[in-house]
Amino acid sequence: MAKGNTFLYYGKKLLLFFVSVFVLSAVVFFVSRLAPGDPLRAYYGDRVEKMSPQERAWAEERLGLDEPIAVQYARWLGGALRGDFGISYKYKLDVWEVIRSRVGNTLLLGGTGFVLIFTLAPLLGVLCAWQEDRALDRLVCKAGTVSSCIPEFWLSLVLILVFAAGLRWLPSSGAYSIGGGGAADRAVHLILPLAVVVIGHLWYYAYMVRNRILEEVRADYVLLARSKGLPRRRVLFRHCLRNAAPSYLSLMAVSVPHVLGGTYIVETVFSYPGLGTLSYESARYKDYNLLMLLCMLSGILVIVCSILAQVINEQIDPRLRTREAAEPPEVTER
Amino acid sequence: MPELLEVNHLSVSFFTGGGEVQAVRDVSFSLGAGEVLAVVGESGCGKSVLCRSIMGLLPRTARIKSGSILAAGRDITACGERELCRLRGSLFSMVFQDPMTSLNPVMSVGAQIAEAVRARQPGLSRSALRGRVAELMELVGIDRPEERMDLCPAGFSGGMRQRSVMAIALAGNPRILFADEPTTALDVTIQAQILDLLREIQGKLGTAAVFVTHDLGVVARVADRVAVMYAGRIVETGTAEEIFYDPRHPYTWGLLQALPALNRGRDSLRAIPGMPPTLIDPPRGDAFACRNAFALAIDYEQAPPMFRVTDTHYAATWLLDERAPRITPPVGGGLDG
Repeated sequence: MAKGNTFLYYGKKLLLFFVSVFVLSAVVFFVSRLAPGDPLRAYYGDRVEKMSPQERAWAEERLGLDEPIAVQYARWLGGALRGDFGISYKYKLDVWEVIRSRVGNTLLLGGTGFVLIFTLAPLLGVLCAWQEDRALDRLVCKAGTVSSCIPEFWLSLVLILVFAAGLRWLPSSGAYSIGGGGAADRAVHLILPLAVVVIGHLWYYAYMVRNRILEEVRADYVLLARSKGLPRRRVLFRHCLRNAAPSYLSLMAVSVPHVLGGTYIVETVFSYPGLGTLSYESARYKDYNLLMLLCMLSGILVIVCSILAQVINEQIDPRLRTREAAEPPEVTER
Repeated sequence: MPELLEVNHLSVSFFTGGGEVQAVRDVSFSLGAGEVLAVVGESGCGKSVLCRSIMGLLPRTARIKSGSILAAGRDITACGERELCRLRGSLFSMVFQDPMTSLNPVMSVGAQIAEAVRARQPGLSRSALRGRVAELMELVGIDRPEERMDLCPAGFSGGMRQRSVMAIALAGNPRILFADEPTTALDVTIQAQILDLLREIQGKLGTAAVFVTHDLGVVARVADRVAVMYAGRIVETGTAEEIFYDPRHPYTWGLLQALPALNRGRDSLRAIPGMPPTLIDPPRGDAFACRNAFALAIDYEQAPPMFRVTDTHYAATWLLDERAPRITPPVGGGLDG
């Protein structure tokens, strides 16, 4: 009985996933076609301007751009289901190839940023909650609000100006020096983009942790815990954190795409050869196939993370759990 | 004999954006060992704040402005947080209004009781701890404790939860138990069980208790003495008999008249007209004057002092002044009647 229900539960989530991905694919396809720009320019470069109408028609036919948009979508979808997303117009390579060459850089930047943000955020949040309304909390809250309001592209430029152009301590762009590529070299190139990613996102999550804990601190069970003689510190760590942790886990899951989106912007400013710069270029050059695959990948990541957050929440919080899941039997009065 | 708890001229205020809220104003009372005092009054008249200020559990925005609290001979108002922490659970502890929210939902009931035990007896072994938890659960009438202590509060009914909260409160053998409307959130049938249990345990362990309630039925069931609070002040205090049979303050009359049992045969329940005043800027004179059918002119000018009725019975109403007109109280029948 319980086994069947678990099956049903995950089956529903799976169905949700497929429906979401299908809707995503349609939106990605049609929006990218609706956006202005000339896809032939990506493929043929400046030669496009010298093409005769006949040559253009031939080129469009060759790339399959002359057919009705619905047919194009069906064909793309058919290929996509087999894992064939076509070739990049700009690089004249299978889009997977193009992405494969860049994905490591983005994972390095985004992954490190993510880990940093998610270890620092609870520390900062707990510290602020502990010091609630005292000088330290107020200072950190104000500094945090300011830091999270600074646009990432601007902060990137300022940091480049100060640390790369001014002090010449750090490189201004790229993922490694030409001819270099050792671990130290890569790390040095990572510092500035990483700083921007962390500064741009950290407070958002730290503040959520802080407020979540303060919400718990005001709960009734805290009064009972204190009235039985537990010190404040123990109540915070044993009781409040335990109640706040599930929502933090699900927050982590939904934040993956958020942090990733931040790295895209940062990558562009720092000319960091990752998926962010690649998406930017592909949108600019109307490199449809590449753009669509990148959008699909980011979109799928968002969907997976949201469903994961949902599952985490429902598994941990007994109040959200559906009736089919096992629940301790209600013990009633004699 | 020195009293177990002595509160002298206590004033507690909340400092909010809207101004200073005077939640407790110049309250004095005492509690002897093993005695049960009921604090009665409408919502928002400072009953809970009074208890929380004694426990040192006031929210950040509130402060004890003046007065002293002597518990077992020491002045609590002078204690630091560390000392208060040691006193909580051992000298006094508290049962709260809503057992649905006062237990931590993600921690097993047994663990929450064990925490309270360990706070007082840190060196206890695992099995001794489990034994003590089971003993406490049995004390509050939860049978088969061994199999139930590992359940989370979600698996307990409201009455069972309140029993668990009581087990927690009693874990450190406190000398004073505060019960802040312990039955308000429960079913009527469970209410009676919990009250009887509290009274029984209180008698068995000799714990003194302060019952906060707005239910005079509860008072009649458990209290030795009663303090009636209105707008942050104690307006009448006396033994339970005195308050029920010989009430002197018009507010107490109003409360007693509002009892459903005294409204039998009427179409609607009698109520005290109006609302308690806001305590941001309490009115001059008697705060109850504008709701009081028996108000005298002086009530609007000057707050009445505590008039002595008997050695145990005091009331703050100008009606007890020698110059006041004689009024036959609408309720009570005198101690002899």
